[in-house]
Amino acid sequence: MTARAGDAPRSSPPVIARETLQGKCAGFASRFVAFGVDVGISLGVFMLALAAISFAARVLTGTNIAWNKGDIWVVVAYAVWEFIYFAHSWAASGRTVGMALFGVRVVRDDGTDVSGRRAVVRTLALPLSFLLLGLGFAGILLGGQRRALHDVIAGTAVIYSWDARAARLRFLSRG
Amino acid sequence: MEGRLVPRMEALAQAVAERAVEIVVSAVDMNALLDGVDLNALLDQVDFDQVLARIDLDQMVGRLDLNPILARIDVEALVQQTDLGAVIARSSSGVASEVLDVFRSQTVGLDELIARWIGRLRRRPYTGPPGLPGRLPAGSGS
Repeated sequence: MTARAGDAPRSSPPVIARETLQGKCAGFASRFVAFGVDVGISLGVFMLALAAISFAARVLTGTNIAWNKGDIWVVVAYAVWEFIYFAHSWAASGRTVGMALFGVRVVRDDGTDVSGRRAVVRTLALPLSFLLLGLGFAGILLGGQRRALHDVIAGTAVIYSWDARAARLRFLSRG
Repeated sequence: MEGRLVPRMEALAQAVAERAVEIVVSAVDMNALLDGVDLNALLDQVDFDQVLARIDLDQMVGRLDLNPILARIDVEALVQQTDLGAVIARSSSGVASEVLDVFRSQTVGLDELIARWIGRLRRRPYTGPPGLPGRLPAGSGS
């Protein structure tokens, strides 16, 4: 009986027991979950900022500001805030809060640190990956280096930046 | 005649010499001899710094191929059976890192599951997460 294509041998330990994973291209789930956390955090901060502005306006001027989701200024402000959140995070350290939590990091396609210009290009290209029913993300699943459309455009890749093997040993030592 | 005599004489001399050595060695009281040796004084005369300076450790280490040795070590069993686990646990920074480890391990598990399924659909065996061509070795960055 032979193993089918795509099957790992049953006796082999999980990948986090075999490898540190550092420097390996991150998979779809890690990237997607990290992105979801980032969207949640950035949205939360944005709404807190709006609430703080409303509170300050009521205290200082006595006027009530009602924010509407359809208001063009709110949409523009939100888009600018998201741009700053992602571009600044990637340019500063190669990772956002969500990426830091899930141990992934943006680097150039040769593995070196990402520059500010590439971070800006990557941020601007990110919405393109959502077009055509998110087809731009197919490269993460099917590509040899798990790169999405915005990665290809910006010349970047996303890698694991945590030591999975050390984490596995810590887990075993606790149990 | 002379040609046959010489080897016999040599064999005889060899046998005599071996027997003589045996007799001398058995007659010598090695314990008494060693008692008479002041090892401390002997060691004081040895300049270990000079001896160590002559050893090229880099060359010695360079000759060692550690990979086959390390490959034979079952690290997981080692950690579970020895106090090494406790040492590693102490080196971690508590609950926060434990939670992070769990989150990350779970998502990596999902990554692997998805990649394996994609490999199965494409009829290409999945051999683990790919690396980048110019990426520095693990641990040298981030």
